[in-house]
Amino acid sequence: MTATTPTAQPPAILERLSAQRDWLGPLVAVLVILSALPFLGIDVPEVLVRCCPLLLTALAVTIPARTGLVNVGGEGQFALGAVGAAAFATALTPETPGLVGIVVIAIGGTLFGALWAGVAALLKVTAGVNETISTLLLNYVATLILAYSVTGPLKDPEAANFPIGAPIPDATRLPEINGVHMGVVVALILAAAAAWLLGRTRWGFKARVAGGNPRAALRNGLPVGILIVGALLLGGALAGLAGALEVMGPDGRLRQGLGVGFGFLGFLASWLAMHRPGWTVAAVVLIASISVGGDSLQLDLGLPATSVYVVTATVLLVVLGWRGTRSGARS
Amino acid sequence: MFIEDVLAGAVRYGSSVIFATQGELISERAGVINLGIEGSMLCGALAAFATASATGSAVAGIFAGLAAGGVLAAIHAFLVIWRGANQLAAGLAISFLGLGLTAALGVSFVSKQITGLGAIEIPLLSDIPILGKVLFTQDALTYLALILPFIVLFALSRTKWGLILRATGERPEVVRAYGYDPKHVRAAAVILGGALAGLGGAQLVLAYTLNWVENVTVGRGFVAVALVIFGAWRPLGAAAGALVFGAALSLQLQLQARGVDVSIWLLQMAPYVLTLLVLVFTSRRQSKQIPEDLKAVFGGT
Repeated sequence: MTATTPTAQPPAILERLSAQRDWLGPLVAVLVILSALPFLGIDVPEVLVRCCPLLLTALAVTIPARTGLVNVGGEGQFALGAVGAAAFATALTPETPGLVGIVVIAIGGTLFGALWAGVAALLKVTAGVNETISTLLLNYVATLILAYSVTGPLKDPEAANFPIGAPIPDATRLPEINGVHMGVVVALILAAAAAWLLGRTRWGFKARVAGGNPRAALRNGLPVGILIVGALLLGGALAGLAGALEVMGPDGRLRQGLGVGFGFLGFLASWLAMHRPGWTVAAVVLIASISVGGDSLQLDLGLPATSVYVVTATVLLVVLGWRGTRSGARS
Repeated sequence: MFIEDVLAGAVRYGSSVIFATQGELISERAGVINLGIEGSMLCGALAAFATASATGSAVAGIFAGLAAGGVLAAIHAFLVIWRGANQLAAGLAISFLGLGLTAALGVSFVSKQITGLGAIEIPLLSDIPILGKVLFTQDALTYLALILPFIVLFALSRTKWGLILRATGERPEVVRAYGYDPKHVRAAAVILGGALAGLGGAQLVLAYTLNWVENVTVGRGFVAVALVIFGAWRPLGAAAGALVFGAALSLQLQLQARGVDVSIWLLQMAPYVLTLLVLVFTSRRQSKQIPEDLKAVFGGT
């Protein structure tokens, strides 16, 4: 990126090493955190399972952030994704092959998540509504749609008065190894794909230019509006997929309050990592550990699940304050 | 009477949002966007409730709410103004912090009861049909909420401090040349704004819910940020928006109380959907009114 003259071109091997440097630091950080977990009495498989939705909701922030967008709608996109997953699951019969069912449910989640982010994208491009505000407000609407679904159209007829959806077919539950379901691998692959998309493709480059200086991008003929819509749709799709994987993974059905806070924790992780995909993985592992560790602490002390925000938000505030003056960025 | 109930509710439910809009507006006119206002409202609400519950005095609760909202906003002011943190991210993190803090600290208050602010009937005026019940049979904080936008309008447009504050949001270098430190002006505006949001939270629990539940504000602070845009950064416009939000909330509750056959979950969406619609119709036009120095943070394309 920096080398423009032929004489300054570093040897190919050095270039390849520096490309891997983006991953080396986060990898070490992840290994350090994971190896520390047993000493803290935190269940490693549980942390890995928690990483799946958080990584996807974090990427849902990272990709739009490259085009200069602040997507705080992970919470709502996740909820709608879960609703979409459950809705698509009702079309399946017990005879549907497992893999087909899993794909159908995943498509349902992805589609609904993208749709929900699409609302914010549409409002931004057509009416100039700031996406930070619209995604925040859409979260509340999405939470209510989820609550409506499990008490109305998607309610489990067997469950008397519980706000839960019908269980999805057994064949579509994600396969697990030692309590870690396949979704974790999917999330990691998507993180690598996002890193490639943002760092190595023409689209990623255009998105970055549009995010860095929209006016200059427009003047150079870049379709800023389309890039914005694309980035938000992609983000929403990832958060929606997280909802679908959660339905197919640990829960096996839609329920009220499914994944509450995952969208916000993903948001914190992405900002903690300054929207670099590699470091986002590390930040997600850290936040997932805090979140899982917090769960047992909360059970012991009788604290609500949202208490975990205290620690995670404080970490982000400290980092924002410590880093702010160095980067000199006010916006 | 249906209309009367809806309108009285609009004023009562809207007034906590009026406080938040005025607080956010003061902050933004000085050039700082504070998404932590939701957190300030929550902290104000819990502080007010806890104080009222411990001392039995709702008035003490009001002051606790003011203080708690201001303290949380002070963190935002420090990070954004002196440490150069991203305004949107810092604000949101502060809202999450407020949500988590109040959820954890509020556990022991969940089933507690308090005596809130009673309605004060204003003699003679409260006898006017409809208007009397809507405007003149409210609690003390609601009266304050109805007057506050006019006070803010006067302070911003007619006083020296208002001029300095507005100049800080438009051209900070001019303020510096004039002999004031824009950083100090901004910090004061952000903290005052947070305190007002805390007051809004106090009104919410002391005059409306009368009990504590986790996340009692359910996004009213974020709604306030939207309504400031709707009101084109003018106090009366933003307050009018808050009343419309209150009306949607009130209409929804009245329909529920009258047993309308629509899912309560769908009814509850109304205020948020309305706020979004309001933004759709006004964002483009209002963007010209944005304080000059906020554009870099909040401009959009």
